[in-house]
Amino acid sequence: MNRPIRVLAMGIFAIFTVLIAAVTYHQVIVGPDYRDDPRNVRVATGVTGRERGTIITADGVVVAVSEADPDDPLSFRRSYPEGELYGHSVGYSTLLFGNHGIEALRSDELVSDRDATISGVISALLGGDVRPKGLRLTLEHQLQSVAHAALGAQHGAVVALDPRTGAILAMVSTPDFDPNQLVGSAAAAAGDALDADPNQPLINRATETLYPPGSTFKVITSSAAFESGVASTGTPFPNPVELELPGSTATISNYNGQACGPGAEVPLSTAFINSCNTIFGMLGMEVGADQLVGSAQSYGFNSEIPIDLASVASSIPPASEFEFDLPGVAQSAIGQRDVKATPLQMALAAAAVANDGEIMVPYLVQEVFNAEGIVQESAEPVVWLRATTPSAARALADLMEGVVTSGTGRRASVPGVRVAGKTGTAEVPGAAPHAWFIGYGPVAAGPEDPQIALAVLVESGGDAGEAATGGTVAAPIAQAVFAEFFGLATEGS
Amino acid sequence: MTRNAEAALLAAAAIVAAMGVALVNFAAGTGLDAQVALTFLVFGVSFGSIHMALRRWAPEGNPYLFPIAAFLAAIGFTEIYRLDPGLAAIQRWSLLLAGAVTTALLLFLRDEGVVVLRRYRYLFLATAVLLLLLPLLPETWVLHGAEVSGSRLWVRLELPMGTRSLSFQPGEIAKVLLVIFLASYLADRHVAMAQTGRKLGPIRLPEPRQLGPILIAAGASFAVLVYQRDLGASLLLFALFVTMVYVATGRAAYLATGAALVVAGGFIAYRTFEHVERRVFAWLHPFEDFADAGYQIVQGLFAMGSGSLTGSGLGLGRPDLIPAASTDFIFASVAEEMGFAGSIAVLVAYGLFVAAGFGIAIRSRDVFRKFLAAGLTIVVAVQAILILGGVLRLLPVTGITLPFMSYGGSSLLANMVLVALLVRTSHGERT
Repeated sequence: MNRPIRVLAMGIFAIFTVLIAAVTYHQVIVGPDYRDDPRNVRVATGVTGRERGTIITADGVVVAVSEADPDDPLSFRRSYPEGELYGHSVGYSTLLFGNHGIEALRSDELVSDRDATISGVISALLGGDVRPKGLRLTLEHQLQSVAHAALGAQHGAVVALDPRTGAILAMVSTPDFDPNQLVGSAAAAAGDALDADPNQPLINRATETLYPPGSTFKVITSSAAFESGVASTGTPFPNPVELELPGSTATISNYNGQACGPGAEVPLSTAFINSCNTIFGMLGMEVGADQLVGSAQSYGFNSEIPIDLASVASSIPPASEFEFDLPGVAQSAIGQRDVKATPLQMALAAAAVANDGEIMVPYLVQEVFNAEGIVQESAEPVVWLRATTPSAARALADLMEGVVTSGTGRRASVPGVRVAGKTGTAEVPGAAPHAWFIGYGPVAAGPEDPQIALAVLVESGGDAGEAATGGTVAAPIAQAVFAEFFGLATEGS
Repeated sequence: MTRNAEAALLAAAAIVAAMGVALVNFAAGTGLDAQVALTFLVFGVSFGSIHMALRRWAPEGNPYLFPIAAFLAAIGFTEIYRLDPGLAAIQRWSLLLAGAVTTALLLFLRDEGVVVLRRYRYLFLATAVLLLLLPLLPETWVLHGAEVSGSRLWVRLELPMGTRSLSFQPGEIAKVLLVIFLASYLADRHVAMAQTGRKLGPIRLPEPRQLGPILIAAGASFAVLVYQRDLGASLLLFALFVTMVYVATGRAAYLATGAALVVAGGFIAYRTFEHVERRVFAWLHPFEDFADAGYQIVQGLFAMGSGSLTGSGLGLGRPDLIPAASTDFIFASVAEEMGFAGSIAVLVAYGLFVAAGFGIAIRSRDVFRKFLAAGLTIVVAVQAILILGGVLRLLPVTGITLPFMSYGGSSLLANMVLVALLVRTSHGERT
């Protein structure tokens, strides 16, 4: 009599088990996909509807702020008053396209704990401050604006930092985008358009794109030579018109197709100041792959830079790959072949020279402050790498100052300040060269003097196209940034 | 002793409801107010009076069924209040009415118990049929049928004063009456119906004459589907007929025949009725028809997905985006705001209810009470499975209320009466 009831009960429990499995599937397994589906209106009214902290620059300019919805005081809309100027560094917090930049990597501090999570409720009950915290950046608004204006419509990047602390003073990447358009009602269409743009405006060229560093890499090649004792600034080198590479038909020649100035022999300093590829090719082969790759790695190559931004590691192949490839060593020594670097990496190379051979961990957030404006956390400078010896750094400083006073980097000079630098014109097969300038100032700064190190990269020659060189295209941009930093902005403009 | 446990559990359910209302208030920025006290009071009075009636007239009745119903009602009520405090105010009146009717029923059954109902089987059948036909009353009458979202299963009484009207769904009451009729009918006929006729290979076919009631049931269900366009009620009635006949006879052939008829009927309905076809398409491809037929299903999925493990918190989600959030899709609303944890709690509560219900059926010696308990349990289980299966995209959405949780007075009243009958059946179940 009871058997059918038992069978029925079993059947119904089997169905309930399927229901539980279905709930698990919809809420736990594919739940996140439903939650993030663009058609889910919660996406447009949910998470980013929460209040986020204010982000200001070092000089107090508001660059990201949450504004309460006038109709719903519990709902907030993120806005970026400076638009595209901080699109790559501060980034954005959106529902459809996620979080990016500082907005993503420091999100824990920026979001309010005033929510329905258990930790939020407990914290609120215990009298904790659940209001979002604000961030003060290291970026200087004026410097950022000048760097942005100097790049203009050209594609490229400018990174400037304090070599003694690692504080990033300016970080610009062009082409850029206005993060506000990823927040508003037309966000989906705007985001898709930015994604599809062949110029890739969403990419932060300062940290996410690898370029051949060209002659700016000679800083590292020289560093390797000084450290290993293979050469010093005065070491004479033969001066051919063209360097024939052993075991290969390839040759290395200088930019102008001439020898490195007059004379059968020239000192290394002259080769550096005039950026002679022939002599640096020879130097590279003398230094050898082990020392060259080792030096590059002490400058940060093949390591991810520890910064609160998405970044890629600059790269140089391992020494073992050069065992039977001397021409490869020569070409790597002048920053070509498979050597690839981000503008941030090359700015750190300049900063190493400025800072007696030490690279500080670069950072963008100076302070975390609470809703009352009281500072709760302050960035402490930390050494990242010992790139080279203090004596090698001093020798490089002399060479780099010579580049600006009498070499390829003259157009980066500013009156009254000792500026050092190195240009680069990185060849790209089938396209206009990338124009580089890395440098710092002032040289031999006193402990209290403000100091700046920077890297400028202009993609594919910028406005100058095929005719571009680091000295003509990138150095003037560096000059504008130096001038602003040293309070000389009005001169020459 | 067990009644004390029941009292404690019912009090806990009233607290759950009151706390839920308070949490919704907190999310909206207000705090403890009259709504919280009123909710506690209504749950207390409604289930308190039922509890007192049970203490007096069915002290050995199962002490867990009403607490489970009260818990589900509390969760549902909280979500209804969160979606629309106006609906919640009406639901509170429904709770009071259901409590009163249930108490009165227990009083009526105090001496002879549910067995007294066995005698009036044809009265119940006639009433059930009449109730099922009521929505077809012409619109111009004082008491008339009304069509809501494509299905004609409402009856509206235009009150003489003002423009107010009183609506109810007679089908909800009819299903309880039909269970009583079937239990009574099958208690008399189950021996004959279990007789096997010809053998066809390994399958033993019932006498064709005995298949009559099943075919009538199929016809009646199909009539409900055609005239009232109510897929859910139609399936519920048919599943109830078939499973009860199976319980009474133990012949799996009835189940197989029933399943075959559902498939065949479903296919015919799919090909014949546009609204059935639309629902099936929306079930199979909800995202392709997002803006139209698939909208409700997809919004339900979005709600559940957004709820994740612990939910958005009461009052902090957007269940208002789901069509029929407080009735058919109340489960998705709960899943969003109370999360996976809340969904599982609800599913487990239904599982416990069904287990307790079948337990009563198994322990009852008297066949009528056995069939009655099984049938009442099946009604709750099938309703839950149909609508939860629809919300969870295991079945097409059939449009049926979730017992105890959905907004709606008729549904709440019918299901509370159902629990009262179950508990009264279990009182002295071994006799």
